[in-house]
Amino acid sequence: MEPVAILLATVAALLSVIATYLAVVSKDLLVAVVLSAVQSTAYALIYYVLMAPDIVLVYVPVSVGLLPAVSVLLIKKTERYEG
Amino acid sequence: MRARELAIASSVALMVLLLAYVIELGGLGPLAPHTIRDLAKSYLEYAYNPWNATVSSMALEAVTAIVWDYRGLDTYFETSVLFVAIIGVAALYRGYREMRGLGGAGLSEIVKTSTRVLVPLILVAGASIAIHGHLTPGGGFQGGSFMAVLMVLLAVVFSLDYAFERGLSSRKLLAIRSAGLIGILLTSLALLVAGAVAGVYAYVFQNMVRESSELSMPRWIFDRPLGGTLFFFNVFESLAVVSGLTLTFIVLALRREEVDHALAAGEWYE
Repeated sequence: MEPVAILLATVAALLSVIATYLAVVSKDLLVAVVLSAVQSTAYALIYYVLMAPDIVLVYVPVSVGLLPAVSVLLIKKTERYEG
Repeated sequence: MRARELAIASSVALMVLLLAYVIELGGLGPLAPHTIRDLAKSYLEYAYNPWNATVSSMALEAVTAIVWDYRGLDTYFETSVLFVAIIGVAALYRGYREMRGLGGAGLSEIVKTSTRVLVPLILVAGASIAIHGHLTPGGGFQGGSFMAVLMVLLAVVFSLDYAFERGLSSRKLLAIRSAGLIGILLTSLALLVAGAVAGVYAYVFQNMVRESSELSMPRWIFDRPLGGTLFFFNVFESLAVVSGLTLTFIVLALRREEVDHALAAGEWYE
């Protein structure tokens, strides 16, 4: 692999770890949904760098489009703040 | 979001980085080989192989060839599982009514205008991913979920009332979903039926000519590769996925007044 590709994947992976931790500890569930979409975007970048364009094409609409939509619906029908 | 949380998150990320470095050095056991394995090589050589069509699926995209030809039956049951899940969601809310005039006006005029610009772009991107599934990365599920995101966007930005007024209904979506599944079933059985009529050997999920079977799906459309069944599978799968995922979203997004009727019916049964 190219060094630039490895660097890009590393930065995206670190960003995804930070976003995942913040999504887990966040008390505001709407913020948690947005953070998990950030994590998914970083994952999509990693898949692209690892030469799996098929997975990118299915991962972007499902994890950035449909999953946040369904989660926001769930939050709307229950409560926004945890705890 | 406080500085303390950010510091903890950064240190977790640093730990993951160091752990990855240790794994890369081989500190936690042997690493997987970096060379291409024989199985992968055979798929790469056979996916598009006009010189030996009895082992080929004549598709330029190896992933689609594997998903819909070499392991086509697996993908068929994956589609069935998704269908059963969607039927489960619809059955959980059985008895709901789609109502208009509940006061949803959608988002502001700025969002609506910019969404109108986006709509044809997403639609064309999704359709081309699905229809070119045997030539470029992507396929039926990918293109279908692109278009499902478009439908969700429309339902959120222009409100559910608008979608219902424009003729969208869960009954129609379920009909499109069923038509897509029937199309997949007919495509997988097409050569078997043709073989039974002509009195020669054929297989379920057969794509190109095989040893002991002369029948074959079309390889070319005009001067472009078609990939036989793969093109039809991708088109029908994208129809089934876009209608199924949109149906799920609409059923989950139903308003209180629309579900009340179903709840009352449930209590009556008890």
